[in-house]
Amino acid sequence: MGIESDFDSIPIGLDLGEWEMVLDEETVRVHADRVQWEDREILEKHGLAPPGISIDLHAKMQFAKLTWMKSAIWAKSKHEFLMPFRLGRRIKIRGKIVDKFIKRGKRYRVAEFETVDEEGRVLMRSRETGVLVE
Amino acid sequence: MTGREHELMKTNWSIGEEIPILTKTAFAPVEKDARNPIHTDEYARAHGLRGALIPGSILLSYVLEMLYRTFAGNWLTSGRIRVSFIGGGAINGDRLTAHGRVKAWEEEGQGRRVFLDLWLENQEGVKILVGEASCLIS
Repeated sequence: MGIESDFDSIPIGLDLGEWEMVLDEETVRVHADRVQWEDREILEKHGLAPPGISIDLHAKMQFAKLTWMKSAIWAKSKHEFLMPFRLGRRIKIRGKIVDKFIKRGKRYRVAEFETVDEEGRVLMRSRETGVLVE
Repeated sequence: MTGREHELMKTNWSIGEEIPILTKTAFAPVEKDARNPIHTDEYARAHGLRGALIPGSILLSYVLEMLYRTFAGNWLTSGRIRVSFIGGGAINGDRLTAHGRVKAWEEEGQGRRVFLDLWLENQEGVKILVGEASCLIS
């Protein structure tokens, strides 16, 4: 269920839920097209998806939960890649809000995400600071 | 050069050396009913921007592709990146070039980790993303 109230009501620790993504050929192709990834044959040869393919979902997870939020952009983002994103695998992305603050009149929220594979192995960790566009 | 192969070819980067740049013409489909309206022309212009903003995740991907080309499979298992989005962002048609310059090496376990300054600049030389990355080399 979404949070329909505003910035002040965002609880630190708010669980953004767990979303799934299947790294099938179509999903990988759509992402590669979107980001104009050029060296696809190298990734395909090794059965890999572009690193960070799931990062787009992070914003969607926040918009789905914070339903009052009209617009936001990244101020900062940080990612650690631990294992390759492999073609054909099902991955899960878990996220939560870990901080929020106001700086120079702008409202920021900080979210952390962990992407794991079917065996629970962590593929990527992310920490993203977003600012509301008002 | 590495990048177009999955195996790391070069390991002896020097401090101050630039890794190969990557240039792209920024593009993201503009959807009138986008969930985040900063990615629409009307809303973005109303907020003082030149037009619909290219999502930060796409800008990040341009940099990630440069790093993968340079560090190949090593990037996928030990890459770390931290970036800030600055300036007015990017819109469709901007010519963006990703840069990375080696700034340090540190011993880590049985290998060495290389650290780089990163930036993404537009056709006018304005930086729209700055940050740093590191990758285990051996």
